[in-house]
Amino acid sequence: MKRSALVLLAAVIALAGVLVVVWPRTVEAQPQLAESAQLRFVLTPASTKSGRNSFDLRVTDRSGHPAQGAVTVEPAMPQMGHALAPITAGPAEPGRYEVGDVDLLMAGQWEITVSLNAERVVIPLLLT
Amino acid sequence: MKRSVSILLLTLGAILGIAGPALADGAQAGADVHVAQTLGDRDLTVIIRRVAEVPGPVHVDVVTHAGSPAGEITLTARAAGAATSTTKVVLGEKPGFHSGVLRIDRPGPWELAVDEATIPFVVPALVPSPWENATYGGFIAAGVLLFVALLLAVFGRPGLALVPTAGVIAAVAVAATAALLSPSIPPLAPPGTQLDPTFDNVNDPYQRTSIVDFSRPPVNLVPGVRGDDLVLSLTDGSSGRPVDDLLVHDSAFIHLVVVSPSGNLLHLHPIRTAPGEYRARLKAAERGTYALAAEIARRGGGVQLLRSSIEVSGTSAARPQDGKAALATEIREAGRPSTITAGFGERDLQPWLGMLGHMIVIGPVTDSPAKAPIWAHVHSMIPPTPGLPDKPDESVAAYGPDVPFTYSFPLPGKYFVWIQAERNYEIVTVPTVVDVPAAKGVSEK
Ligand SMILES: [Cu+2]
Repeated sequence: MKRSALVLLAAVIALAGVLVVVWPRTVEAQPQLAESAQLRFVLTPASTKSGRNSFDLRVTDRSGHPAQGAVTVEPAMPQMGHALAPITAGPAEPGRYEVGDVDLLMAGQWEITVSLNAERVVIPLLLT
Repeated sequence: MKRSVSILLLTLGAILGIAGPALADGAQAGADVHVAQTLGDRDLTVIIRRVAEVPGPVHVDVVTHAGSPAGEITLTARAAGAATSTTKVVLGEKPGFHSGVLRIDRPGPWELAVDEATIPFVVPALVPSPWENATYGGFIAAGVLLFVALLLAVFGRPGLALVPTAGVIAAVAVAATAALLSPSIPPLAPPGTQLDPTFDNVNDPYQRTSIVDFSRPPVNLVPGVRGDDLVLSLTDGSSGRPVDDLLVHDSAFIHLVVVSPSGNLLHLHPIRTAPGEYRARLKAAERGTYALAAEIARRGGGVQLLRSSIEVSGTSAARPQDGKAALATEIREAGRPSTITAGFGERDLQPWLGMLGHMIVIGPVTDSPAKAPIWAHVHSMIPPTPGLPDKPDESVAAYGPDVPFTYSFPLPGKYFVWIQAERNYEIVTVPTVVDVPAAKGVSEK
């Protein structure tokens, strides 16, 4: 009896191990941080899948105060030599921007250039 | 006894069931090859359809465009220099698709001759990958061993049956490992993309090589004129030998952008007439300096732009290009993305060279296009559309009417811009001029 319990336990552990290794992982949409000389940009995409996307952007200065002015977002896909029309967004609340209707129709590595006044950062974005 | 027979039958069934998928498809499926060819007075797109079986037929579509004279062309398939089959295709007055069928008898590097143009292409061999073999082999071995184990058990040798039972576990482990890991094994580049295709590597595509850097030297371009044709000689920048490893990229071996002395744009796709030699007919040649730039991709990766110019002593009078489209432009200062959208009125544009539209940018022009520092080729991509194929050919006239481009003009100044799209098998060329303002104190980063 004890022996069969041990065997069962071993089987369960083995199965759990296999599942941990094999289970498909999805990439969570992580906030991406980039800093320029004066500002700190945090971009969170709504999705990491190709298709229509939207970005949540937070822009602050180095001491954490919300930035002033409108941001411009320039999506491009270097591997295809392809750029999209830039999108300009005003703040939804101080330092926070909602950039909607970004058509990133191809899977692959995108480069999102975000600029505010003369400050500019490039944020990589991998879409599956 | 009856019971043992039924066990045997069940086991046999199980083995056959497991062995079934071993007949599944091979490694590479291959794809259609689209090649634009400026062949004599005709602008053709030659489509070599995917080869389904070897030996077997290969279907070739020849697409003519508006202004192509009617006539007959000869298609020939050649392997290692020897022709295996040839056929004639009659090109009608009306532009569109014309097909021919050739026969090929083995996988490997092939050449399709369309009159004097030769198009190298690869017929892939259907070879199962090592991990497919391990998966199917493992399951088959497991089935056979299970059968042996049952036989031994049924005929009263349960002790001996332990040996094949251990084998079953080992075989299933091998098969499951191969099946689970195979999606994460990176596929090898098919022969002909990084390595030169040979009969050997096409038939054994899973052979690994010790090469890690496949890139090749830059290319020297020397243009010349022979009769009515522009002849391009391509030589290797390191060895001086002819360059005969051009890949089809964006549906052509060479995208040759030519600006005539009067400022007209020609977008040609020279045909390969010999190793390292490409030709394109220069229709209505004018007298003076032609500026040209050739976009090529060598095997091993990377596209390069080769610029040059040539004196031509033509006699034709210049006729200005008069393609029409409603242009909506938003030009930003140099270095920032500008957008130009061409509206073509109706939703019936056809893909040309796999794209919705092409925009050629030359500038800033102060004296002649040949001296302009920037030559760019911008694409407007086919948007993925539900209900339409992923990579449509020219027969799908369902795109547009707006053709958007985004380009960051690197320098301020005056640019010549041409927008090209296809409608009714005719390439429409819309010329325009763009003035780009200087950047106003943007930090250089
Ligand atoms: Cu081209």
